[in-house]
Amino acid sequence: MDPSRLPAFLLRRGIKAAIVILAIIVSNFFLIHAAPGDPASVMAGQSGAADERYLAQLRTQFGLDKPLLEQLWIYVRGMLALDLGYSHRQQMGVAALIWQRLPPTLLLTGVAFALAISGGVTLGALAARRVGTWADSVITVIALTFYATPIFWVGLMLVLLFSVVLGWLPSFGMNSVGADLHGIAAVLDVGRHLILPALTLGLFYVAVYARLTRATMLEVADQDFVKTARAKGVPEGRILRRHVLRNALLPVITLAGIQAGQLIGGSILVETVFAWPGIGRLAFEALLARDYPVLLGVFFCTSAMVVIFNLFTDLLYAMVDPRVEVQG
Amino acid sequence: MTEFWIRFARNRGAVVGLVILVLVAAMAVLAPVLFPRSPWDMAGAPFMPPGEMGMLLGSDSLGRDVAAGIAHGARISLMVGAVSTVASLGIGVSLGAIAGYAGGWVDDALMRFTEFFQTIPSFILAVLLVAIFSPSITSIVGAIAIVSWPPVARVVRAEFLSLRGREFVQAAECLGKSRLAIIIGDILPNALSPIVVLASLMVASAILLESALSFLGLGDPNLMTWGFLIGSGRSVIRLAWWMSVFPGVAIFLTVLALNLVGEGLSDALNPRLARGRA
Amino acid sequence: MGVSRRGFTAASAAGGVLAASGLMRVSDAIAQGITPRRGGTLTTMLTPEPPILQIGVNNQGPTLIAASKIFQGLVKFSPTLEPLPELAQSWTISPDGKVYTFKLQPNVKFHDGTPMTADDVVFSVTKFHFELAPRARAIFSMIESAAAPDPHTVVFTLKQAFEPFLLMFDVTACAIVSKAAFDGRDYRQAPSVQHPIGTGPFRFAEWQRGNFIRLERFADYWKPNQPYLDAIIFRIVPDSQSRRLAMETGQTVLAHSNDIEPFDVPTLQAIPNLAVETKGWEYFSPLAWMEINHRAAPLNDVRVRRAISQAIDRSFITQRLWFGINKPATSPVASTTRFHDPAVKLPPYDPRAAMQLLDAAGLRPNAQGVRASIKHLVLPYGEVWARLGEYLRQSMRAVGIDLVLEATDAGSWARRIGAWEYETSINFVYQFGDPTLGVERTYVSSNIQKVTFTNTGGYANPKVDELFATARTSAAPAARAAAFSEVQKLLVDDVAQVWLMEMSFPTIYDRKLHNVITGGTGVNASFDDMFLAS
Repeated sequence: MDPSRLPAFLLRRGIKAAIVILAIIVSNFFLIHAAPGDPASVMAGQSGAADERYLAQLRTQFGLDKPLLEQLWIYVRGMLALDLGYSHRQQMGVAALIWQRLPPTLLLTGVAFALAISGGVTLGALAARRVGTWADSVITVIALTFYATPIFWVGLMLVLLFSVVLGWLPSFGMNSVGADLHGIAAVLDVGRHLILPALTLGLFYVAVYARLTRATMLEVADQDFVKTARAKGVPEGRILRRHVLRNALLPVITLAGIQAGQLIGGSILVETVFAWPGIGRLAFEALLARDYPVLLGVFFCTSAMVVIFNLFTDLLYAMVDPRVEVQG
Repeated sequence: MTEFWIRFARNRGAVVGLVILVLVAAMAVLAPVLFPRSPWDMAGAPFMPPGEMGMLLGSDSLGRDVAAGIAHGARISLMVGAVSTVASLGIGVSLGAIAGYAGGWVDDALMRFTEFFQTIPSFILAVLLVAIFSPSITSIVGAIAIVSWPPVARVVRAEFLSLRGREFVQAAECLGKSRLAIIIGDILPNALSPIVVLASLMVASAILLESALSFLGLGDPNLMTWGFLIGSGRSVIRLAWWMSVFPGVAIFLTVLALNLVGEGLSDALNPRLARGRA
Repeated sequence: MGVSRRGFTAASAAGGVLAASGLMRVSDAIAQGITPRRGGTLTTMLTPEPPILQIGVNNQGPTLIAASKIFQGLVKFSPTLEPLPELAQSWTISPDGKVYTFKLQPNVKFHDGTPMTADDVVFSVTKFHFELAPRARAIFSMIESAAAPDPHTVVFTLKQAFEPFLLMFDVTACAIVSKAAFDGRDYRQAPSVQHPIGTGPFRFAEWQRGNFIRLERFADYWKPNQPYLDAIIFRIVPDSQSRRLAMETGQTVLAHSNDIEPFDVPTLQAIPNLAVETKGWEYFSPLAWMEINHRAAPLNDVRVRRAISQAIDRSFITQRLWFGINKPATSPVASTTRFHDPAVKLPPYDPRAAMQLLDAAGLRPNAQGVRASIKHLVLPYGEVWARLGEYLRQSMRAVGIDLVLEATDAGSWARRIGAWEYETSINFVYQFGDPTLGVERTYVSSNIQKVTFTNTGGYANPKVDELFATARTSAAPAARAAAFSEVQKLLVDDVAQVWLMEMSFPTIYDRKLHNVITGGTGVNASFDDMFLAS
């Protein structure tokens, strides 16, 4: 892409992203408010005893006595000021709560994503290059296996193997509490805890990206510009790298952008299995407790992350635009 | 048609997949004959390992026959997969067809709408929808359909965009056919092959999605599904591995089979891509 | 009659002797050649993660378990629910049962260094808990006056005699808080809510949300040389299998409450270095029943309710689903509670008798063998409760009742029970040691409210109302016992609810941990006498 057009492109994408985020705020709000269950009675119920006065007190606290539109207006206005509200159940600001839980999720999904994309593209490219051979078959079978296996099931099996049977890796949490580690030792400790959940989350997407890379590479390899390059006598390895892989990466990048949200969704399951203290688990706990402010905040946050990630992939897309390459 | 089968059969994986799928379907159909008692009935002692007390795949925490659960569960799991796929095809094909055929601002608006649905993390959305409408077969099928339709809309729209300008469509327009008749009678049949391939994959992911919902405790309590079996077995996995292993294998095989069949269909309907295989 | 009880004196406590049951434990330990050892960290778990650790602002189970190390009550309870001294070193009750005088321990300090005095006690009772906790409000509204004649004496004068009054002074019901930290502030928003300040043996140190809570030893604790432990860490582990694994691998050395699923208990029990106890829930004694909405036909017919009750095999439930941790219920009053009448019995498990009762009630089977279809709201408290729903459905099917299960989440469950929008469900309710405190609320017609844990079933019997009223206002235990025996018989005859089981929860711990369960509130004790043998 022409570098001078980049700012305008970014601006257009930025406006679009802002509209999407606003739509998400509004629709999430109404979605959650359609939910049955009143946070006041949930809290009263869990404390083991309740009277009417206590319930009324809680309702006032939650702002549930105000009209719905007013609640929405308060919410949107707050979100625009990045005030995500207050969780009365957790007795803590929602933004602070999410900030606390965000780093573990970013770490987990980031590592899982890096694993998935590098592993997936490598395997997919390998399979496409040796299409029809035993290597292709093996890779295809592996990819299909992980694609067809429920993600939490993979997690349970890994725990069984590496924690229970072999005893090599911890099965839950993010660090060893009470060990009082510092510096490198602390990092290594988190690393050890990270291996199983990241692998669980990553393996499914390795399968997805491997299948996609293989398929698109085969498709691209069949196109005219590749045939032209081959006719011009460009070496096969160079064709594969410069022309085929580069063009095949585009759909993979697009899909990766779209699936950023799925990755976070998958982290609900993985974080639950491995007791990973991230926002995926926070979301599920908040849902069970009908903790509206937290739920709204988590949805806003995850959706915003996806929108930002999509912006980023758009930029990446612009940088490896096929047309530039084909003409060159 | 025979040509289709020849091309399909050239993909050995697809044939294996089809065989597995037929077996699973047969198990689903024959479940009431193979296991006449309700899969919820306590048939023996709890936590019996496979083979004991005449229970091929062991018993669960209440002494229910796991094999009976898998056979009866096949009916519901396949049904959930099929019905939610049909429902999301309904949404996706209509929106995609309208967008692709109408073009212009309608297309633009519908695609923004589709994008919006793709941006919201779909699994979280599904969890939320099932929780809001409380877990039941209807809410589960509905939630799966609602989060699964966007890819369909995109594929159908792309097909419609490219078919829209073809001669046979223009010819139909000249004959004064109504728009609906053209969309359904002329364009859709020509856009069918990618939809069919997509559908087989969607059934697979619907089954996976249902199992994930059940894993989080959002299954229909009155229906025996594979997801339910894994959900109830996972916490006792080391006490009774068979409770979650066998339903897990059932899901794995079915999802695998559907994927293989999908690939076979893709090869058979789109010969250009099948090139490398022979 | 002149009821006058004196507790153990501070002198005896200072002399290194622990109260009642603790005393036995320590002597057990000494008999084995183990003396309490200073030092070590207790790593345990907490499920689910509590929102905050300020008792009063939040009174849910996990909050109580963690905060009962930070806060203390005036008294604590033995396994047979006898009151024992805690922050009160002794107390007397006037002959008419109206005046309670507490002598406080001297030298008690809050974690911020300020001394605890009678003012703090009066504030905690008449302001703090009265304002925040519905259960406390119901009881403390009977206080006519509260006085602090000197810094170590508190006198409560009641409007009328109330025999179970002392039961309200456990840490879980009325933790003593610092008046200076709360008075004049919005109690829920006060800074010390986030950083709780109590008198307990451990002080709040660190909380990484979703990960762990750390409490550390309070050096100025009023019992000399105690606590023995340096710190307590509560790990937040949401997955039950991870929790079980943590116990197996020794990553945690104590599991309690709902941490370990019943079906995992036998496996853990088989591990030599782990001990399993089901004691320590006597004060709460949760009683579980199939909650009946008396407004929904055919459940308004006593024959149908009795048929349902007789169609359920309670020992199957307690043995197969709860692996012997729970006991079949025999009465509306749990056997661990005062005034339980052992002569009262539920009708036996007998499906044939159940079908005859249904026939008599005019519910004949149709072509599919179904007599009636009844909805059942599954209790959304996890796996075992889901299994219980499935078991009940099959049991009801066996006598011709089609029980249709409805799944829900904790919030909707509480809302629907509170709004009477159910036909049947499962409920379990704490008994709090005395039927007036924990049983009456479910059956008296004056408590038919649209609020959970009231008489949501809508059961009404004037005779029952009258007996509960007699027991509530009578100062004499014998008169109360007679009224409660009568009421238990009446409730069983009416099948007011379909009682299922007396619940307990397994406490599982590493054998090098001593003095784990010492009283009737189990792991809600302060742990000041707990120690880790080397």
